[in-house]
Amino acid sequence: MALPLPQGLVPSEVAFLCEMELVTVVPRQRLESIELLSGSTPRLRPPHRADLPFWLAILLKKQRRANIVPPAWLHPDSLREIVTYETAIDVKDWAPPPPPPVRADGRGNSTRLNPYEDGVILSPPFLPSCTAAAPAGALPYHWFELAEMLLAHASDDIPSASEVRSLLRDLQEARAAKMRSKVTHPESHGEGVTSLRGVGAMELAESRGFVTGVAEGIRKIGASAETMRREEEEENGQDMDDDLSDDDMGL
Amino acid sequence: MDIDDILREVDPASHGIPLETRDLQALTRLWVAERSAPELLNWPADGLFERVNSKIKSQIEKIEDMTGDMDPKTNFALIVIQTELERYKFLVRSYLRARIAKIDKYTLHYLSTEELRQRLSPTELAYATRHQALLHNHYLSSFLSSFPQRLQNLNDTAGNVSMIDSPDLDTAVFIRLLRDKDVFGRGTDVDTILPAASGDILILRWSSAKDLVEHGDAELV
Repeated sequence: MALPLPQGLVPSEVAFLCEMELVTVVPRQRLESIELLSGSTPRLRPPHRADLPFWLAILLKKQRRANIVPPAWLHPDSLREIVTYETAIDVKDWAPPPPPPVRADGRGNSTRLNPYEDGVILSPPFLPSCTAAAPAGALPYHWFELAEMLLAHASDDIPSASEVRSLLRDLQEARAAKMRSKVTHPESHGEGVTSLRGVGAMELAESRGFVTGVAEGIRKIGASAETMRREEEEENGQDMDDDLSDDDMGL
Repeated sequence: MDIDDILREVDPASHGIPLETRDLQALTRLWVAERSAPELLNWPADGLFERVNSKIKSQIEKIEDMTGDMDPKTNFALIVIQTELERYKFLVRSYLRARIAKIDKYTLHYLSTEELRQRLSPTELAYATRHQALLHNHYLSSFLSSFPQRLQNLNDTAGNVSMIDSPDLDTAVFIRLLRDKDVFGRGTDVDTILPAASGDILILRWSSAKDLVEHGDAELV
């Protein structure tokens, strides 16, 4: 019963994770709170909005019990802004991820939601980055999967869906090219850490094999050079220690 | 729901995350980490799995109770509960299967030292030991017994070559930072220190990322 999948999440598992994102719905029917393993759902009373996990929102949408409110970053204007950023302003890195979620405490202070006072740190898909309150102009981690699923199951809830669809395609192409150039660019070779700030989950999943393959190849080609370098560094370090101890002796 | 519940919902001072969300976040994080890491990670010691299993059990009992009455309203609630239960069970199952895949691949490695054995849960340890013994007995009875006595072991380390396969700890992994941190990574040409903010995705060797992940400063993605 061992898992036959390769190391690293595959696209279907990423989609599964994305379905845990919270989205905002406008219910069309009353529904009492349901006690689930991941907590109770809010009581649905039309026309009050409520935040639900994405899988439940799709289920309600399919049964025509609710409409989904698309997040602000999925609006054509916001997408156009990001496409401009990706193609004209910064052609090397991805557009920055959304700012960390903050909330007001009602006394004029704003506090960062993460980390919580007891040290628990939430990360996507548990951060509210796809609800109606999410900011426009920045793509959250699960942007691609969420947009695709929304277009597939709730395209009538998205304003100008066909335009959104074509903008998403532009975005995806511009960003995929960045991923390729980033990994194959000579200057990033041989370094210990490479930052992929702003990348999305599905983009990672689809190029995971390629990226790790390149990294592995470079490591194996440079393995002997690396061992030599480390030995040299160690010797130099020892020499310095020797010099120091000599000085100590002199003193 | 009365006025107190509604007030509690909109109260800006209540920061706490409910235990259910916490468990789900912890379980998801464990699953993603186990799917992405090249080696077996520690079995969670805080009783998360006991808690999750007992919750799944009581949820199944609840479904059995609810199947009795056929009111269409509760019928829909039943569908939702069952869907969610399946999703939860998938997480648990996939996590355990990913661990078994790693244990199967490097059984002798994980059984070789006390420190590595600590990573396995009691059931996994029993499985690994017995499976390995069965396998070795099978080899012995089918072909190993015709070899000289000193060639019958599976953990030979003669000639500085160990027979025990171990996972490659320098495999590249992706991590997401949970706190702002300067990340140190070993590379072929230079070792780099990269200042990174929480939420950034980095690619580096697992051997460099391991400490960050174990201290909760980063998570695998």
